[in-house]
Amino acid sequence: MAQAASEGAVAPPGRDGSASLGRKPFAVRVRRALDTVGGRTFAIAFIIVLYGPLVMLAVFSFNDSIVFSLPWSGFTTRWYQEALGDENLRGAIRNSLLVASVVAPMSVFLGTLAAYPITRLRFKLRGPAAIVVAAPLVVPWLVIGISALIYFSKVGVALSWATVVPMHIVVTFPLVTVIVAASLARFDRTQEESAIDLGASQFQVLRHVLLPHVAPALIASFILAFSWSFNNFEISFFVGGFDRLFPVWVYSTLRHAVNLPIVNAISTLVSLAEIAFVYGAWLLITWRAGARTSKEKTETLMDAIR
Amino acid sequence: MESTAPPVSEGRHLRARVVRTLRPAAFLTGPMAVLALFFLAPLIILLIMSFRYESLYGFQTGWTLDNFRALFTDPIYRGVAKDTLIIASTAMVCQLLVAFPLSYFIAFKAGRWELPLLLLLVLVDELNPIVRIYAWRMLLGREGLINDFLIWTGIIDVPLDWLLFTKFSVILVLSTSWVNYCALPIYASMKAIKPSLFEAATDLGAGWITRWRRILIPLAAPGIFVAIILVYIPLFTDFATPGLVGGTSSYMLGNSVADLMVVIGDWGAGSALSLLMLAAMAVVAVIAYFLTKLNQLD
Repeated sequence: MAQAASEGAVAPPGRDGSASLGRKPFAVRVRRALDTVGGRTFAIAFIIVLYGPLVMLAVFSFNDSIVFSLPWSGFTTRWYQEALGDENLRGAIRNSLLVASVVAPMSVFLGTLAAYPITRLRFKLRGPAAIVVAAPLVVPWLVIGISALIYFSKVGVALSWATVVPMHIVVTFPLVTVIVAASLARFDRTQEESAIDLGASQFQVLRHVLLPHVAPALIASFILAFSWSFNNFEISFFVGGFDRLFPVWVYSTLRHAVNLPIVNAISTLVSLAEIAFVYGAWLLITWRAGARTSKEKTETLMDAIR
Repeated sequence: MESTAPPVSEGRHLRARVVRTLRPAAFLTGPMAVLALFFLAPLIILLIMSFRYESLYGFQTGWTLDNFRALFTDPIYRGVAKDTLIIASTAMVCQLLVAFPLSYFIAFKAGRWELPLLLLLVLVDELNPIVRIYAWRMLLGREGLINDFLIWTGIIDVPLDWLLFTKFSVILVLSTSWVNYCALPIYASMKAIKPSLFEAATDLGAGWITRWRRILIPLAAPGIFVAIILVYIPLFTDFATPGLVGGTSSYMLGNSVADLMVVIGDWGAGSALSLLMLAAMAVVAVIAYFLTKLNQLD
């Protein structure tokens, strides 16, 4: 028991932990090593399945052929030129960026506005309010999309990118509320109280005590809101009208199966931009939260997205 | 130290009460107005539409149950509903089977791999889902890379046809699209388990099966519940994946709704069908909730 227990205290026990009594430490170590190797292989396979298709897409966006298959027919950047020269595609990207840049700040604003009273104030309708705010998160986007389609036509509003904006906001700000509320709930209230005891005004408390604490959550919310809006297909599909947004452009281009190589090229560009965007935000969040070690960073990450 | 608070007079008391009721309202009015205008109002219109009868150009209108009756009597919808249920449930099970051990690995075993793996899980969510579906379509096709590779290595002579535009492709692509959403809540709930619990169980002679059954699964149950709610609903209502990588055998209810709304223009039937799906999802949520409860009592 002594041996296994002391080992178990260092590393969390796995399948082998039960072995313990009287077994050779060597056998235990081999099994533990196999366990780790097995776990790592599994994780790597998982990541390959998740990212592999996108990597292949990027590689083949440079292939000088209109079909996506071997043999390799030579390197070209032709598809990138064609993609960037395509009027429809440029319009779709422009629309999506426009919508997302309105949706993200509005969602962060509304979401934070809702998160504060739900976590910080006591009032009778607090429980119902929280449920109502969270409701859009469990209603499928398909249902929200078609209900909005019918709604706008009954009210007599023509569909365009401008009708997409409120619909994206209404599904995104509850997410911000959840993230910011979780961050507020974790906040130690005594800090606020001591600030007040030391003579800070309410604004000063908000600015110097509360804001630094929720800043990572706010940044994460902004990134999530922006990419939710930019990537949203279901709602944009129904309420975009003649203003195509990027995911809808990809979908309809693929449905009609023309000009596939430019889809490869633009998909690669968009994915790279998204990765850079998220990574930049991640650096900003860890810097704001002052996380240095890997453990602190993991905690920051979970705090920001939970 | 003496408290600095002044004695509370009747007037101040009243004012404090008013402030206490008005402050939440001041914060919540904006968000609630947005929800009322763009979430509740459209849903109410949807509900009304599903019970409406409208002839072409709206000459005749009235209330009816025909929209629902058609859905229940038409064998086509029954078939589509069955396929949707099979596809969504299989994909859900596959994801749980992958996400659960993966989350366990990340939470307890990964060591310095923990952070990179988590970042990759979060990052993939920010990549465009339509692009991700499209990438799979390129790989799985008759002349796609997977068939190319299998023929090149001599494993097969003729390209496999069942890789794309089948139930298989839809289940595979749906699973890879959502598995990160499935893993994160499970990971979060596992992370909250104290490793000392496992040590104690080990010391008491529990094997890994017992440890998983009695500690890991019950304590991770809330995470599994969140994962099912988070993932099963979009799986069940998806129409982009079957639209891009599905064939006739994988036409899902989401496609029916989209086609009814956009191609056929039968808004009554489309509304009715989407409401039925919403109701089905509510049932799923309740079942998942009780299953989790049951497991915790064990």
